[in-house]
Amino acid sequence: MKFIKNHITFILPLMAVLIGLEFYFVFERTTKNYEEGLKNNYSMLIVAHDKVDIEYLRTLNSHIATIEEVKKDSIVDEISKGLKDSSKASLSKILPHFYNTKLDTYLSMDDISTIKADLEKSNKIKSVETFDNSHNSTYKLFVFLKFIFKIFILFIGIVSFFLIFKQMEVWSLTHRERMNIMEIFGAPLFLRSAVMYRIAVTDAFFSSIFISLVFVYLKYNWASSSGIEILMHNRELIFEFSDFFKMLGISLAIVITSVYLVVSNMKDES
Amino acid sequence: MSNTSVINASYLNLSYHDESSEIIKDASFTINKGDFVFITGPSGSGKSTLLKALYGKLKPFSGDLNVGGLDMNEISNKNLQKLRQNLGIIFQDYKLINEWSVEKNVALPLIIAGYSKDIQHTQAKRLLTHVKLLDHIYKKPLELSGGEQQRVGVARALSKNPFLILADEPTGNLDEYSSNVIWDLMENTCEQLNTTVVVVTHKIPNIFSIPYRHLIIENRGIYEIH
Repeated sequence: MKFIKNHITFILPLMAVLIGLEFYFVFERTTKNYEEGLKNNYSMLIVAHDKVDIEYLRTLNSHIATIEEVKKDSIVDEISKGLKDSSKASLSKILPHFYNTKLDTYLSMDDISTIKADLEKSNKIKSVETFDNSHNSTYKLFVFLKFIFKIFILFIGIVSFFLIFKQMEVWSLTHRERMNIMEIFGAPLFLRSAVMYRIAVTDAFFSSIFISLVFVYLKYNWASSSGIEILMHNRELIFEFSDFFKMLGISLAIVITSVYLVVSNMKDES
Repeated sequence: MSNTSVINASYLNLSYHDESSEIIKDASFTINKGDFVFITGPSGSGKSTLLKALYGKLKPFSGDLNVGGLDMNEISNKNLQKLRQNLGIIFQDYKLINEWSVEKNVALPLIIAGYSKDIQHTQAKRLLTHVKLLDHIYKKPLELSGGEQQRVGVARALSKNPFLILADEPTGNLDEYSSNVIWDLMENTCEQLNTTVVVVTHKIPNIFSIPYRHLIIENRGIYEIH
């Protein structure tokens, strides 16, 4: 009973850290997916005196991902209703070139302003329209959500770390006498603390496997009926196999560090 | 008895804090291979402190102390571990690991030295037969009486054939019968294995059949009684 209690009181905070961590992975993937959507839907309009190509624009700013020229004919048709064909041709000649431009990543308004300034430095470019109002409000909401979530994860992490260290103190009391006796008989530090390392590593494996199974369940049984559109259509965002190894690595790092701290701070009372 | 020195102290001073609180002062003595030595003295005279210095728990404050050819002033952590692995230490409060079986407690020095499970088992069985506790091999120490626990302590001290056995009041918590059993075991060990034994005690047993030396700690000094 005492053995189970010792494990549970260590595993629970470790699981809390891992759940927070896995939520963070899921959130990162989901937001990346969402960012991709925002990025794809966002474009800038470049008005140029002369024809320009993608290579030229990239020399001005490397964030330019694609350009697509807006056909002059459709613009001329739109603004020249009732004019003669000869007038349309003249109009077409004097109209500048219009380009729809997409970026390689989702950027803040400051970055977009920098891109605009870079492009407008060129003599070939007359002006750049960034449509910043709608973009800015969406971006700010997005950054705010990311910030809140990270704070939440950090808070869970800190509370869990305190619980883990508290449990480590209990462990140090439980194992102190045995370790002191082993020290008297010349056992090196690793051998003296081997039992604690073994328990901690077992708990790290158990916690990582358990949390992985929970998220596998959510992925295959819950996501499709969750009602959350982005998860219903992107079930693979919930859990990736590599997450198990990330969680295992981090939980092993936590427990090994914790055991090391306890062992190295243990006062010899023999 | 050969005259190879196992312990050599020269102007040894021991203190937990500073010079003003020295517990042992300017002590010089030599203990040779095969010697059986009783160290006596009143309570608080520094008997256990001296023993701690002998197994490297307390560094000499000043002076020289050499145990098993190692200078205890300059001993490295690794050498200290090696030295302790070759000592047999017996405590008044037994210092057994209560969550381990009697067998595993006896085999502790062999576990630390990395011996195989077979050797550990064989040696533990042999020693538990020697101390007449084979029937209790799989029990936990707390299931045994005080005398029995101390016999386990003696068996543990012998398990790796140490060159030196240090005993800190080994019969301090035992009744007369159990004390006699422990003294018999220690006499036999010294006689059969020619092991050096240093026993810190407040009283030398009345009946002791092998030759022994007697050091007494008095007024912070260590003197031999002939």
